[in-house]
Amino acid sequence: MSIDFEKQEVIPSLQPKKRKRKIRFGHYAVNTWLIFWAGISIIPMLWLILAPSKTNRNLSYQNPLGFGNFTGYWHAWKNLQDFNSGVLARWAFNSLTYNVAIVLIASLTASLAGFVISASRIRFKKAFLISTLIMMLVPPVALVIPLFIEMNKANLVDNPWSVILISSLYPFGAFLSYIYYSNTIPPEIYESARLDGCSDIRLYTKIAFPLSYPLLALLAFFAFVGNWGNYFMPYIMLPSPEHYTLPVGLGALFFSTPAINPGVGATSVPIQKPEIALAGILIAVPVMIVFLISQKRLIRGMLSGSIKE
Amino acid sequence: MSQGRRHKPKNLLMILMLTPYLLLLFFFGILPLIMAIFNVPSKSPSNPNGGWHVFNIVLHDFRLLPAAEHVLGFMAIFVPLMIVFVIVMSLMLDTDAAPWKKWIRLAYIVPACVSGSVAVLLWYVLLEPTLSPFKAVMHWMGIKQASQIWQTSNLTFILAFMAFFALAGQWILIQFGSLQSISTEILEAARVDGCTPFQLALRIKLPLIRKYVIYMGVLVFAGGLQIFVEPQLLNTSVYAGIANQWSFDQLSYSLAFQNGNFGEASALSLMLLVPSLIGALLVIYKTDMFEDVAVKSPKKLEKEARKREAAKA
Repeated sequence: MSIDFEKQEVIPSLQPKKRKRKIRFGHYAVNTWLIFWAGISIIPMLWLILAPSKTNRNLSYQNPLGFGNFTGYWHAWKNLQDFNSGVLARWAFNSLTYNVAIVLIASLTASLAGFVISASRIRFKKAFLISTLIMMLVPPVALVIPLFIEMNKANLVDNPWSVILISSLYPFGAFLSYIYYSNTIPPEIYESARLDGCSDIRLYTKIAFPLSYPLLALLAFFAFVGNWGNYFMPYIMLPSPEHYTLPVGLGALFFSTPAINPGVGATSVPIQKPEIALAGILIAVPVMIVFLISQKRLIRGMLSGSIKE
Repeated sequence: MSQGRRHKPKNLLMILMLTPYLLLLFFFGILPLIMAIFNVPSKSPSNPNGGWHVFNIVLHDFRLLPAAEHVLGFMAIFVPLMIVFVIVMSLMLDTDAAPWKKWIRLAYIVPACVSGSVAVLLWYVLLEPTLSPFKAVMHWMGIKQASQIWQTSNLTFILAFMAFFALAGQWILIQFGSLQSISTEILEAARVDGCTPFQLALRIKLPLIRKYVIYMGVLVFAGGLQIFVEPQLLNTSVYAGIANQWSFDQLSYSLAFQNGNFGEASALSLMLLVPSLIGALLVIYKTDMFEDVAVKSPKKLEKEARKREAAKA
């Protein structure tokens, strides 16, 4: 799209000074609002990070964004450890192993797919790209019930591989890889490597893979961010508590302790709000770190394919 | 691309490398849909003889209308709020390139780290007058007890704000990113012509990022329709009974898990999938988001490239 500005006349503004002042005032108003919203954005997270430093009682009486005591974290941690003879460590271990598996399988399969589509002349390229785009634009939640029915038939319910394999389908990653490889590696490189007797697999392992570390990092970031906090899929596929992930485990803590569930009467379980908040930190903070480190790249990734650089 | 040499026999290795992804795509993208379709006419307590009229049974389920009211009400607040707010905020961020705005952008991404169960925890806190960081505001509004807020009738608003808060920041950054793609020459020309920042945003920038706005609209709409985790968690684990079979997905879930009625659950899931599919096709074929990379055939692209080179020469 191009706009022809040359034909437009330059309209001299009548009162440049007044207008400038108005614009400057507008600038201040806009910036104040931007800063205000930034504050609103981080306050809930700040509360979460500060909460375990306080005692359950002080959470209500102290300043909500005040700091209590470092020993608070230690107490909350110990109480969480003691819950159901250390099941939290199990959930953390599950979250970690499932996610490592998902990130590896998803990134590798997606980058291979993107490479093949950009470097080969196989048929049905277009059908492949369109189906990948459709999968990318339909929210994953839409398929959960059909997936459950499928896994139920395949006897894979309550088997962690169900969640790992389902979450490893990474259409966005495949698309991203396709864009990356077609934009960064000119086909001539492949052609000349082929003339030198390079097999297609070596084209990937010796040329495309080493040239795509930024892509692989991006694929891993996105796969991690998209799956670490995922609740619905493991909630449905893995009903036994020993297979829970941290997010599902946190939901179970809500349900079985009086921390935020008024329905549970007084119990001797020492899981209260500081403990729940600490469990929440374990889920939210890893994602936040990834986001803060790679914010720019993630955003550029979201727009790739449609923005030409 | 150089022409001539074809590598037909070697394609085998290429196909081999594509296979892992294709298997995942087939087993977890296509097969579940096929199985859901085959499951629809299966026999169930509500459909003892089996058959396709199960769609009709679902449509007449007494729980469907309330779920539709909830979800559509939720979307009526959430979707327009998201789109307008995100556009306005990203245009505001884009007025100048002050270095301190880098920090603002970092802050905006923070709510995106909170999803699912953590989001429920934080909203429990935010709306609890004894705990909330905003308790002064709540007291000022006369809210002394959480029960004044947490009622089924308010849930449409609460869930709309939860979803809005979780997603707005990241979309502001994405739209800000799309604004960066506008060529500086266009903006400079408009400025020279005496465009105020406001006119620049409304008349020049906004029309140029239209397709990204549509892209966002489709994704936000499709995602909103499938709301499940927040009402489900609130209902089962925090305020018992507050959101029983509140959304479409919760209904579909309880059909499958409580009633064991896979036929009806499949039928409902498939019906819910239709708007998402239409949205996806709309973005792919009706905007030029993915036109160059996926929609046009390679031959057409080559032709265009040749034309462009000819024009240059």
